[in-house]
Amino acid sequence: MKLALWLIVSILLGLALFGSACNRTSYSADDKSKIHVGIVFDIGGKDDRSFNAAAFAGVKCAETGNWPDGTPCGKPALNIVLRDIEPGNPTSIEPAMRAFAERGYDLIIGVGFAQAPIMERVAKEYPNIHFAIVDGVSELPNVASLVFKEHEGSYLVGMLAAKKSKTGTIGFLGGMDIGLIHRFEGGYEEGARAVNPNIRVIQNYVGVTDSAWNNPGKGKELALAQIGKGADVIFTAAGNSGLGAFDAVEQAGTQNGAATHFVIGVDSNQNMVKPGFVLTSMVKRVDNAVYSIVEDVVKGQFQAGIHVYGLDKDGVGYAMDQNNQNLVTPEMIQQIEEAKKKIIGGEIKVTDKMIQ
Amino acid sequence: MKLLRELMFPLIAVIAAFIVGGILILIIGDDPIVAYKLLIGSALSWPDGIGYTLFYATPLIFTGLAVLVAFRCGLLNIGAEGQLYVAAFATAWVGITFVHMSAWLLLPLCFLAAIIAGGAWGAIPGVLKARFGSHEVINTIMLNFIAVALVSYFTQYHYKTPGDPIMETTEIGGGAHIARMGKFLPGFPERIPLNLAFILALVCCVLVYLFLWRTKWGYELRATGSNPTAAEYGGISIRKQIIIAMTISGSLAGMVGINEVLGYRYRYYDGFSASYGFTGIAVALLGRNHPVGVLLSAILFGMLIRGGIFVDAFTNNVTKDLVDVLQGVVILFVAAEALFRGPFGRFGLLKRSKV
Repeated sequence: MKLALWLIVSILLGLALFGSACNRTSYSADDKSKIHVGIVFDIGGKDDRSFNAAAFAGVKCAETGNWPDGTPCGKPALNIVLRDIEPGNPTSIEPAMRAFAERGYDLIIGVGFAQAPIMERVAKEYPNIHFAIVDGVSELPNVASLVFKEHEGSYLVGMLAAKKSKTGTIGFLGGMDIGLIHRFEGGYEEGARAVNPNIRVIQNYVGVTDSAWNNPGKGKELALAQIGKGADVIFTAAGNSGLGAFDAVEQAGTQNGAATHFVIGVDSNQNMVKPGFVLTSMVKRVDNAVYSIVEDVVKGQFQAGIHVYGLDKDGVGYAMDQNNQNLVTPEMIQQIEEAKKKIIGGEIKVTDKMIQ
Repeated sequence: MKLLRELMFPLIAVIAAFIVGGILILIIGDDPIVAYKLLIGSALSWPDGIGYTLFYATPLIFTGLAVLVAFRCGLLNIGAEGQLYVAAFATAWVGITFVHMSAWLLLPLCFLAAIIAGGAWGAIPGVLKARFGSHEVINTIMLNFIAVALVSYFTQYHYKTPGDPIMETTEIGGGAHIARMGKFLPGFPERIPLNLAFILALVCCVLVYLFLWRTKWGYELRATGSNPTAAEYGGISIRKQIIIAMTISGSLAGMVGINEVLGYRYRYYDGFSASYGFTGIAVALLGRNHPVGVLLSAILFGMLIRGGIFVDAFTNNVTKDLVDVLQGVVILFVAAEALFRGPFGRFGLLKRSKV
C-alpha cells in the first residue's frame, strides 16, 4: 500500500513538472524566416475526394510544387511552412485556429462556410494575421473571403445535360437544402433551358442536416427515382451522397456498350469514378483559389474582402479528359465555349439563386 | 487506502496506453517524446491549455456522472447523447422564446429546461423498462436517433435565422448567457469558453456522491443495482428505482446543454456534441463508477482532446487519431481488468451465479 501511494504521488508530480516544463517550448524546428500557413479543414477531413481534398491540394501545391500524390501541379513551390488540422468536431475548430494564431502564423485558412462565425471571432483578436475563408463571407479587414460562381459552371453543365438528354427530362441531386446548393441548381436549370426551353428538371435534396453530405444510400435512391421519372442526366451537388447517383446510372445499364444514363460530378474532377457514365464534372477550383491567396501573402499583396472565382479566373469550369471525350461531341464543346465567352463578357447573366 | 487501491489500476491502464501509443508513434515515424510533450504541454499550459482542457472535461463530467448513476442501478445508459441533444435544444428554446426576460428569471428557467428535458428523455426508456421490461440499451440507442432528428427538424424549419447556411438557431437572449471564468479569475482571458458550468459539474460530483452513498434513496438505488432480487425482498420497488435512476441520469446528461449553449456558442447548433454521450461511458468506466474517478478521468479525456489538436497540427505524421488510439487502449486495459474483478465483474459474472 505504501508502495502504491509513493508510485501515484511520484507519477502525478512527474506529470505536473513535465507539463509545466514544456509550457513555453517551441513546438518544432519550423524555419522562422518562411511564411507560415495553417489550414483548418471542415469536419469531412482532407481526404474527402471533393471539397476539402481540393483545398489540401491547393496548399500542398503551394508548399511543394506537387499535388498530394507527388505529381507536379504546374505551379512553383512558394517556400512556406504548412501545417494542417482536421478538427473532427465543431468544438475543436476554434482552438485549432487559435493554435495557429497564438504561434504567429502569417495566414490561416478555414475550409467551409460553417467556420465563418468562428473565424470572425478569432480574426478580431489577431488583426495582424491574415485569414482566408473558403465558401464563407466575412467583412473584417484581415479576412479574405474566397467564394465561387458555382452558378456559372452549373450553367455550362446544364447546357451539356440538355444537349445530351434524349428524354427531355434531367435531374438535379442536391445535398443539404441550403442557399449555396440552390445556386448550383439555379444555374443548371437556366443553362438547360437555354438549350431546350421545354426541358423538365426534377430536383431532390438529400436532407437538411450535415449528414446530407454523407448519405450515398439515399443519394442512390433519389437518383433511381429520378431515372424512374425519365431523367437520363443527373447533376449531383451532394458531396459524398452524390456518389450514390454514380451507382444509380451504372445500375440503369448500357445499350450496345454505351451508357443510357449519365451523371455529372461536382467540385473535384470525378470523371474517373465511373468512366463512361460520367458526362463531365462541374469543377470548383478551390485549389487555385487557395494557392493564389497563399501566393498573395508570400508576395505581400494580401487583400481582404470578397475574392470571387468565376469562369473568368478559372475558378469554376467543366472537366474534359480521356474518360469522357467520347461522350461529349466537339459540337457540344463549341457551343458551351461560346456560352462561356458570353458569360465572361457579360452578354449572358446567370441568376444567382443564393442571393435571392 | 481503499481509494488509492481503486486509483491504482486506472493509472496503470493510462500509463500502459501511453506506452502503446508511444510505440505506434515510433512506427509512424515521429518522436514519441516530442509528441507527448506537445500533447501534455498544450493541455496544461496556462491559461489556454488548462482552460480548454477543463472546458472539454465539463460535458464529460456530466455524461460520466449520468452513466454512473444508471450503472449503479444496474442499467447501461447509452442514450446520454440523445438526452443532451434534447436538453441543449430545450435550453436554447427557452433562451430564444423569452429573449427579453431578465437574467434572474431567465437563467433558472434555462437551467430547468435543460434538466427537465434531459430527464424526461431519459425517463422514457426507464418507464419502458419498468413497465414492459424492454431493454434500456436498445431503447436508449434508438432514442438517440429520434432526438437528433427531432431537434434538427425544429432547428431547420422553425428556429433558424432565415438564409443562414449553418444549421443553428438564432441567438439566445443576453440574460441567459452564463459568465465565463475570465470574469472571476484575474489574468484568465475571457475568450476561453470555460464557464460556470464547470463549477456546476463539480457540484454535481459532490451531489451525486452524497445522493448515492449518504441517503436512503441512493442506498435503495444501489441495492437495486447490486442485487435486484434481494432489494425487492427488502421492500424496494425495483420499477420505481429504474425510473428514478434513468431520470436522474438523463438530467445529468442534459446539463451538457448548459455548458455548450449557455456558456459557449449562445445558441443551439447542429452537431455540437463530439460524441460526449458515448465518451461518457468510457469516462465512467475508467473512473470506476465513482464521482471522484469520473472527475479525474473526464479531465484526462479533456486533456487528450485539447492536446490532440496540437499533436495533429505540429507533428509531421501523427494525426489526431492518436487520441482515439490512446482512449481505446485505456478502455481496453480497464475493461480487461474489470471483467475479472471490480464493479463490472459483480455486474456481469457474479450476479448470474447468485440468481
